[in-house]
Amino acid sequence: MFHALVSIKQVPDTTNIRIDPETNNLIRQGVPTILNPYDAHAVAAAVEWKRKLGGKVTIITMGPPAAVTSLRECIEMGADRAILISARQFAGADTWATSYVLAEVINEIHSKDPVSLVFFGKQAIDGDTAQVGPGVAVRMDLPVVSYAVKIREVNLEEHYVIIERKTESRNEVIKTSLPTALTCEKDIAEIPYASLPDLVYSLRYEPEVWNAESPITFDPAQLGLKGSPTTVFKTGTPEKHSAGEVFKVTEVGLDGVVKTALDKILAVEGMASMLGVQK
Amino acid sequence: MSRRFWVYIEQEDGKVHPVSWELLGVARRLADEVGDDSIVEGILVGYQMEEAAQECLHYGAETVYVVDDPAFKNYLNKPYTVALTALVKKYEPEVFLVGATTLGRDLAGAVATSVGTGLTADTTHLAMGVIKENTKKLLLATRPAFGGNVIATIVCRDHSPQMATVRPRVFNPAPRQAEAKGQIIHETFEITPDMINAEIVEFITNTAATVKLEYSDIIVSGGRGLGGAKGFELIKQLADELGGVVGSSRACVDAGWIKYDHQVGQTGKTVRPKLYIAAGISGAIQHKVGMQESDFILAINRDPHAPIFDVATMGIVGDLYEVIPALIKEIRARKEAQNG
Amino acid sequence: MDKNEKLVFDVIVVGAGLSGSAAAAIAARGGLKVAVIERGQNPGSKNYFGGALYTHSLMEIYPDFWDRKPPLERPVTETGFWFLSTDGLVKATVQGGKVNSNPIDAYVALRAKFDAWWAEQAQKEGAFIIPKTLVVDFIRENGKVVGVKTDRDQGDIYAPVVIITEGVNNLLTQKLGLAKHDLKGESSALAVKQLISLPAATINARFGLTDNDHGAALSVMGDVSMGLPGLGFLYTGVDCVSVGVGVTLEALREAGIKPYELLQRYMNHPMIAPLIAGGRLMEYGAHIIPEGGWSTMPQLYTDGVMVAGDAASMVNALHWEGTNMAIVAGKSAAETAIEAHQKKDFSAQSLSSYRARLDKRFIMKDLRQYRNLSHFLKTHPDFMAIYPTFLNDALGMFFTGFGKPKGQLYKDILKSLTSRRPLLKAVGDIVAFGRTIIGI
Repeated sequence: MFHALVSIKQVPDTTNIRIDPETNNLIRQGVPTILNPYDAHAVAAAVEWKRKLGGKVTIITMGPPAAVTSLRECIEMGADRAILISARQFAGADTWATSYVLAEVINEIHSKDPVSLVFFGKQAIDGDTAQVGPGVAVRMDLPVVSYAVKIREVNLEEHYVIIERKTESRNEVIKTSLPTALTCEKDIAEIPYASLPDLVYSLRYEPEVWNAESPITFDPAQLGLKGSPTTVFKTGTPEKHSAGEVFKVTEVGLDGVVKTALDKILAVEGMASMLGVQK
Repeated sequence: MSRRFWVYIEQEDGKVHPVSWELLGVARRLADEVGDDSIVEGILVGYQMEEAAQECLHYGAETVYVVDDPAFKNYLNKPYTVALTALVKKYEPEVFLVGATTLGRDLAGAVATSVGTGLTADTTHLAMGVIKENTKKLLLATRPAFGGNVIATIVCRDHSPQMATVRPRVFNPAPRQAEAKGQIIHETFEITPDMINAEIVEFITNTAATVKLEYSDIIVSGGRGLGGAKGFELIKQLADELGGVVGSSRACVDAGWIKYDHQVGQTGKTVRPKLYIAAGISGAIQHKVGMQESDFILAINRDPHAPIFDVATMGIVGDLYEVIPALIKEIRARKEAQNG
Repeated sequence: MDKNEKLVFDVIVVGAGLSGSAAAAIAARGGLKVAVIERGQNPGSKNYFGGALYTHSLMEIYPDFWDRKPPLERPVTETGFWFLSTDGLVKATVQGGKVNSNPIDAYVALRAKFDAWWAEQAQKEGAFIIPKTLVVDFIRENGKVVGVKTDRDQGDIYAPVVIITEGVNNLLTQKLGLAKHDLKGESSALAVKQLISLPAATINARFGLTDNDHGAALSVMGDVSMGLPGLGFLYTGVDCVSVGVGVTLEALREAGIKPYELLQRYMNHPMIAPLIAGGRLMEYGAHIIPEGGWSTMPQLYTDGVMVAGDAASMVNALHWEGTNMAIVAGKSAAETAIEAHQKKDFSAQSLSSYRARLDKRFIMKDLRQYRNLSHFLKTHPDFMAIYPTFLNDALGMFFTGFGKPKGQLYKDILKSLTSRRPLLKAVGDIVAFGRTIIGI
């Protein structure tokens, strides 16, 4: 049976984040949290293949209790089961400690209900590390196909999958044996618009909650801040760049601003020869 | 024993990714910050790597470890991870830098897990420093987080190597020396079947010429202010006139007006051209972190309060559909005047 | 739960705005099974307003309102009018006294934050909120509304009574024939606003506020709207300022001015610009306000349906009231729905007690009294331009006329008025305005 597992993360909508101008602290209050956009597409792909092949989709996330909202969103898209992995001990985990927990969880699920594909988004928009997917794959000794843009074929009889992935210069088509991990670009699938019964079902859905002791007993030394090789030494705000002069077309006139702009551009070293125009 | 500063030399078909030279440059600086016993070394994995290995020496690597085998002809996560893990365990480098490219991020995440050490992703600033008195200097790896709103300096105290992926185009490349000093050491591996868990069945070269935003000297970018996909025709005209390439803000990519390859910013490309023109881009922090190091930034926006003006070398408050055609006309006029 | 089960509720509320969530809370508290259908990602994500909420209406829904830790910005401790000339300003504001009530009458709020919380309170009462879903039509049986159709697959939801709080763009209300036509340009205003982020201490200093527990809500008249009938406003949040201007759609269209230019010009006014200087734009938005009130009010109920809030033109433009009417009307609609369930009668006849409830309250009384306001502004297009400028001149002359014979001073002041408007006409304006607001 096809069993897709998708690991997702609830993230603050980074396009809405602000910095307190006085304290330089991140203002999290009032910043909406969302299902990480890449993860949403990964879920969509998993559901798409479930609809083609039959089977089921399981969602996992490590996060605070409020992350149920994102799990419900995955159920809305058509996932069948969602698990929230939540405990204080997990707080402050870096990608290494995160991949430890996720790998243990996926192994546990896999042992009861074998998994065909393990999906991740290519990265989370808050941390932007793109490390958790490959990290989990290594821990589970699964092949990993990162930056996947298309799943071409899933063959359950012959135990292989063919996935197209993106590199900087070209796309590669990769064949691996099942189970395989993949990290997804947005191209992997379109987000479906759920039917009303699916939406209503998802709004009432209560995910399973796993903690640090049950049903898996994790090694406390590998959890959270304590289990993280990397720590944040300090944080700050990006340095401010000084603003240059601003000209208004309504004041200087179109001709004036354009001439000034070009004069300034040509004054940049090497620019005149590149454009083939004299200063 | 020498303190080793390692750089992963990324290559595709024998062609070295320029970020590797940038990393050799920054590794040299970091090595100098800790003292004389530190050395900069390159790690090269692939097939038929002689020329690339030689180039590494020209760019200042004191040693290049080369794994050269047909099994490594094309990048695949598992065999490369196995090879690098073995090398790390054998030589115990102190710092290991990898380019934050798609390949580098895929590889570094796997290697760090496999070695059992910490990894800081997508760094934009690196230094060696002491975080507690009477301890050895650590790699202070700084990176933007939360969409560029915050910068965080991350350390890896008790694990080694201290690994980081480094964003391309942030550091200057090491200067290429005419003379190639240093040694090339070949490492051999027994390729076992369990190392091969994937195969590449096809390459698809994008027929639509892929944009090389990161290494372009002139970029003209459009934003939401274009009002629609059609607006990029005008952006393209100006880019063509200047001999540059087309960039975009995330909003336009999300709206489907232009492909992701053109996206500049936190989740797109970091660029550092000589000239960056931002037309109709309001200048969200996510965009600014990807272009603010450009030599000259010209911003065109109707809103005088657009945050893009905070980083612009020169700002024009006006309608881009008036300003850009006028700019194109002026460039043409000057070219004609020059050509007689 | 079975996914194929038919979705049946006791009452459906369309739109999780102030009115909708109030209706949902009251209905749920009354024991009804309530579904709220909201088109936005979250309640509040599509909602917009100037400013301030009125305490009396919030407490009417939740007597323990303050214990629920509402996400409000600042209390309004100073409020009133600012009159702008091209380069001057006369302030007529009040603070202390009646404004210093307990609790304070009005609070500045940000809708995205507040409405999400407001909906959450309704949820706590037992209402079921269905977001990201658009109601596109009604389900009718024997000509009576028995539910709604949404834009989703298998998107039908049933309930014997539907409360429409769909907002100003009242397509559903029109679909039922309750509103005869789209809103008229003369009776709807377009408000454009920017939310500017500034440190709290800067806001306190610039607006003369003692601390973060003091706030200002100001209506700005005169040289704000490029000579068009409209009003500017300023509201202080904790660390942000709402600055905006509203003008009737018709006037905007006739003058060919873009809303954006209007706001830009207002924000660049020499008396306004320093208040927001150095701030960062947090959001920019525009919203239509159904200022027609009485004159554009649709029929408020029919078989199985009631309409409340902006969808029913419940706005008093002069007093900036709308949110409180929406909330109280939502409550009245819910009470009517509860009563209808008790009687098991959802006919128009049965739901007419909704109208009766509103008639007893300030809502219908005020809207009726102010029914001629938009007509007055249409027939006195320069009313908002002339008098604020005159006021600036008059007070300016009065307080600077040192060393001049005072007889001449009064003549000059009078001339400043009569040069703009003949005296008789000015008296006529004032009388007409007075009649308009008294409602005779």
